[in-house]
Parts: sequence; C-alpha cells; structure tokens
Amino acid sequence: MRAKYYIPILLFFPVLVIQITVIPLIAINGIIPDLIIILLVFYTMRNNQIYGTVLGFIFGFLFDLLTGTLLGSSMLAKTTSGFIAGYFSNENKRENYFKSYNFALIVLLCSVLNSVIISFFSSVDVNTNLVAMIFQLGLLPGFYTSIISLIIIIFYPRRSFS
Amino acid sequence: MVRFFLRIWENFKEYIILVILLITSLFTISFNKSPAVRNVRATAFGSFAVVTSLVSDLTSIAKIKSENRRLREINAELMMQVNRLREFGIQNAELKNLLVLKDSSGYPLIPASVVSKSISASQSTITLNAGKNEGVRPGMPVINDLGLIGIVFNTSDDFSIVRTLKNIDVKIAVKDERTRIDGIMKWNGDELVIINVPKTYDVQPGDRIITSEISSIIPVPLPVGIATGITKVSTGIFNEVRVRPFVDFNRVEHVFILKLVESVEKNNLELNFYNRK
Repeated sequence: MRAKYYIPILLFFPVLVIQITVIPLIAINGIIPDLIIILLVFYTMRNNQIYGTVLGFIFGFLFDLLTGTLLGSSMLAKTTSGFIAGYFSNENKRENYFKSYNFALIVLLCSVLNSVIISFFSSVDVNTNLVAMIFQLGLLPGFYTSIISLIIIIFYPRRSFS
Repeated sequence: MVRFFLRIWENFKEYIILVILLITSLFTISFNKSPAVRNVRATAFGSFAVVTSLVSDLTSIAKIKSENRRLREINAELMMQVNRLREFGIQNAELKNLLVLKDSSGYPLIPASVVSKSISASQSTITLNAGKNEGVRPGMPVINDLGLIGIVFNTSDDFSIVRTLKNIDVKIAVKDERTRIDGIMKWNGDELVIINVPKTYDVQPGDRIITSEISSIIPVPLPVGIATGITKVSTGIFNEVRVRPFVDFNRVEHVFILKLVESVEKNNLELNFYNRK
C-alpha cells in the first residue's frame, strides 16, 4: 500500500536524469518534452486529486532544487498541474482515460498549464504578447510532451491500470 | 465550531491543500537569494550531478567521432588565424606599451564539460563538472570558442550550475562593436534583446555585439552575438535591439570558465563614490 507513495518519488530521479541528459538531444528548436509531467499525470490518474497535488509539489521542489531553476516556480506549476490531472482520476472512468489518445490529451492540458505558469511567472512584462506566449511557450512544448506520452502509453501493459 | 471546520475540511480539502501548497511555493520563491537556500541547493545539485555526469559521459560517446572531425576542421582554420593574429598581437603589445594601456587579455581558463542541461523557455541552466575545487566561483563568465555562454550561478565542490544567456535572470552590459553604444541585454523568454536603446542611436542589423567594459560581471570584451533587427516601440523614446547569439546553447558540450571575478577594489571605490554624502 505504501508503495504508491514512494515508488513515484523513486522513479522521479532516473526520469530527471533522462530529462536533463538525454532529452536535450531530441530538442526541436529549443523545445523539449517534459517527462516529469507525464510521470505526474500517470500517477495522479491512478490515485486521486490530493495525491496528485502533493506529488506535483514534491516533484516541483526536487526539480527546482536539482536543476538550478528559480526555486518555487516549478513547485507552483507542477502543483497546479497535479491538481488539474486529479480531475481525471475518477475510478469508474479511469480505464477510459488511460486509452492512449485520452491520456495524451490530459498530458497536453497539464503540460501546457505547467509551461504557461513557469513562463508567465518568469518572463511576462508589459510588452509581452500573451497569445504568442501561450502558443510558443505553452502549446508547442505541450504538444511535444503529449506525443512522447502517446509513445509511452501505447507500450505500457494495459492490465496494470486497474 | 469544530464540527463546522471539519465539514469545511471534508467538503473542500482538495482546494485547501492546493491553496496551502501554492502559498508555500510563492513563499519559497521569495527566499531564492538567501545564503542558506543557496548552500542547500549547492549540496543537492552537487550530489545529483555525480549521477548525471556518468550518464552524460555515456551519451556523449556516440557523438565523439563527429565532434572530433569538426574540431579538426576548426583547428586547421584556427591555426591559420593564429598566425595572422600573432603578428597583430606583437603590434598590439608594442602600441599598448606606447600608450601605457593595461593588458586586459590573458585571464586563466578552467576547462569543463557539460554534464546536464535544463532547457526551458525562460530559465535555461547547464551543470558543469568543475566546481570550487577547480577554483570556480559564482559570477565567473562561461565561454566556448564561439562566445559567451552564461554566468556561474552556484557551485559545489566538484560541480557548478551556470545560468545561460537564455535565462531571464541574466542581464549583461553589452555594446555594439562598430558604434561602441552600450546597453543592457536580457532574455525576454523568446529572444535576446538589448533594452532601452534610444531611437536616435545607430545600431544596424549585422552589427557584432560584445560584452561591455562597464559591466561589473564581465569587464572584458567577449563576443555575444549579432544584431538581427530593431523592434520599434511605438511609444516612448527607446527601441529594443534583437540579438542572435553566436552560441547554440542546445549543442554546448565543452566550455571554459573565465577565472575572473568582479574586482573588490573597484566595487569599493564605486560604492564609496555613491555613498558619499
């Protein structure tokens, strides 16, 4: 039972290593997918909203601490993303949400939100075009992340979702 | 009363937890510059970078062959350039002696490799495998053969975190090499821009942008990028100059840290000047 609490946190470290060493190699014009968000959405949907919110907070804190980004910015973004992903943790509909295209759409939503919050927090000033910012800094990384999530979820064994 | 709060907690616990965690996050952001937080971060990323450096070594093996070829070509080109520059160097030294100017070149370089990259739209950082033990200190500029990459932000014993120019927290005094016009360059989340350039100043697309001597962080001229255009702000008296950096930050692998920290003597002098009643 306790495994559900520490397994995602243990998994976070190898995923972060891949995120900061291997993933930059597949960057397209400086845009990279966010594996941490995929991990967060996956475990939030398997549990519940409070679990997702707290897990997002922990992931964000560790990410900020270990990568040198503004301490607190990823915490804020990933906490919110975990909370939103929690709306899709309904036990009756879980099987349906874990179908590859639905999962990719949920990842897209959370990833866009995550990217927009981080960018909004750090780069908005009076001259910023908000629509362009949401598209460039939010949607593009979000699409890339959701495509990667599609690949992961297609190859994931279906019975372990239950 | 207790029952009332319990009922509120039961009905809104998801939202209460969310609000508490968001407030904690906002609170944490305000503590970023605290020395205690910096020390904790240095210890944390120093330990983690040991693992990432191992993985980074493995992933870089695949690229060594192509990079070796590229470096041979650059080496041949540089050899020819060095021959030309050697003559200019002798002339330069003689002329400087004549003018009694202080030599600003010859700062020691600390070689390092990138062990991990955190690419984001606004807060890009890289981790290097050189730290306090090699003499790296926060504030030192990081360069490669193409130009300036960023500034050392934090160091552990064997590793250091560098904020690249694509980080909104890095603001550097730069100048147009042709017209000698100074300005402050920053990353706006989308591109590098020199802000608050008066509309009457002569800055043209294609001008080389280098670091300015007036910078308190990098008081030596280092190549930064090329001016690509001017964003004409309709109101006010200032324009923004867009800059394309020489360095492709996504491809950076081997760098040098310029062993140069801001002069305490100069700082004290300037502070004394400003503090004078």
